[in-house]
Amino acid sequence: MRALCWTGVNEVSVEDVPDPGLLNRQDAVVKVTASSTCGSDLHLLDGYVPTMMAGDVLGHEFVGEVVETGPDVRERRVGERVTVCSIIGCGRCHYCKEGLWSLCDNSNPNPGFLETANGHASAGIFGYSHALGGFAGSHAEYVRVPYADVNAFPVPENVPDASAVFASDAVPTGWMGADLGEVGPGDVVAVWGCGGVGQMAALASLRVGADRVIVIDRFPERLDMAAEMGAEILNYGETDVLEALKELTGGRGPDVCIEAVGMESHGTGAQYAYDRVKHALRLQTDRGISLRQAIHACRKGGVVSVLGVFLGVVDKFPMGAVMNKGLTLRGGQQHGHRYIPMILDRMSKGEIDASPLLTHPMRLEDGPRGYELFKKKQEGCVRAVFRP
Amino acid sequence: MLLAGAAAVAGMAIVRAARSAPPNPDGWFAVTVETDPARLTGPDRPDELARIAERHEVRISPAPGGRGSEIAVREADGETRDRVRKLKQLLETGEVLLVDRQPEGHRTALGRVGTPAFRHLTRKGTR
Ligand SMILES: NC(=O)c1ccc[n+]([C@@H]2O[C@H](COP(=O)([O-])OP(=O)(O)OC[C@H]3O[C@@H](n4cnc5c(N)ncnc54)[C@H](O)[C@@H]3O)[C@@H](O)[C@H]2O)c1
Ligand SMILES: [Zn+2]
Ligand SMILES: [Zn+2]
Repeated sequence: MRALCWTGVNEVSVEDVPDPGLLNRQDAVVKVTASSTCGSDLHLLDGYVPTMMAGDVLGHEFVGEVVETGPDVRERRVGERVTVCSIIGCGRCHYCKEGLWSLCDNSNPNPGFLETANGHASAGIFGYSHALGGFAGSHAEYVRVPYADVNAFPVPENVPDASAVFASDAVPTGWMGADLGEVGPGDVVAVWGCGGVGQMAALASLRVGADRVIVIDRFPERLDMAAEMGAEILNYGETDVLEALKELTGGRGPDVCIEAVGMESHGTGAQYAYDRVKHALRLQTDRGISLRQAIHACRKGGVVSVLGVFLGVVDKFPMGAVMNKGLTLRGGQQHGHRYIPMILDRMSKGEIDASPLLTHPMRLEDGPRGYELFKKKQEGCVRAVFRP
Repeated sequence: MLLAGAAAVAGMAIVRAARSAPPNPDGWFAVTVETDPARLTGPDRPDELARIAERHEVRISPAPGGRGSEIAVREADGETRDRVRKLKQLLETGEVLLVDRQPEGHRTALGRVGTPAFRHLTRKGTR
């Protein structure tokens, strides 16, 4: 079959690779009908995630059709249309049972690297380096899905692929951002980053009743999309974000600050230059501009909810603000399984439409160009989605 | 591919850092398993656990808060840790999750050579 492989820093290519088969009795093989680019791929592409190997198949946000099931698959059926969560859970360890699916004890067969780096390993993720399991990704004609009964979710007939594909990652991740912040009526929420994840965090905050949602980015077309769904917008290229947020919130600061940018945060001025240099020399593993800003802006006693991916250490982490303002800092890879059935149901009822994120439908063969557009945010690209 | 090389170097650095901590001769490797301690101690305990216990001191205790059992294995090397983790998987999910023999594109020469060390590092950890 054809698949999009990582071949080196900022290099991908579409290659012939062997078809996947069932490796475990609880596996299914899914024929991919849509597979999206995600901001997390950019960290892999840029070479900031170690344990990538040339030849690894990328992609983790996808929808498709079940074409084969192992003998111990009970719920899923051949022919079913499914959204598969980008995070792999086993469904039976203590963490999965508690709904903390991205902390699954069993779905990452390669835990050594993360145990050394972080103290403990987290769940496996499709197409996301060997340290996160070494699972082949979904930018391919077919993908093998472990523990299919718990990781694949049937899609209601009236939900098109263009929306269902994002129920795999961007929507549940955004939803978790609001959930971790316990967002509700009366809250003012600020969201850093207006990619798929930030936009869905803004949408989720509005759906669960936040009074106001303020979204921060520098790309006008992305900000316009957020404004379209009812968010207020701040362009950090033109405005002093910290001052503006104080003014917009009567001096208090936002009640919940959602960080949806991650370790390659961009910025202006000396702080950005400093971060860039240290990052390039690998003296710090992550750039923390938007995270620092979120912590600084957050109201006393508020919650900072971190969705952006960080891997190692952030320089100049403002611990003083966390401590003295009594902040709650939460984060994690998405516990998608907790939200996906509800999200698909809301999509079916017309309460969530994620399809505007799909700005660039493309053939798998055009994958390299898709990543180019997505990485450089050219031609208004929010997410390029491949149809193998 | 250069990157995998760089990653391997970075990985080795992490391994060295971890190793430079003085090894604890009495060290235990412990995992918590969602299962009743009775299933791990009686005569019908899993064969694999019995095999591990032939070569290692093994301690089974109930985990607090209804979290099942703690299995601690003394002086477990990378190989044994891997076996203990697989035992946990088997007890909790009924199978050992496999990731070998998956689709992959062209591997470079360095990639093919580096793979065993790489796998060892990511699978078995630092001992
Ligand atoms: N927690 C999870 O499970 C999970 C899931 C998916 C993605 N992610 C992470 O979420 C982050 C966003 O993903 P995405 O797909 O939306 O990516 P994206 O690249 O499409 O969007 C990131 C946005 O952040 C903006 N940005 C950069 N620096 C900024 C700054 N200083 N202030 C405000 N905005 C800034 C960029 O302009 C861009 O629009 C990534 O780090 C990704 O790895 C996490
Ligand atoms: Zn993602
Ligand atoms: Zn689990």
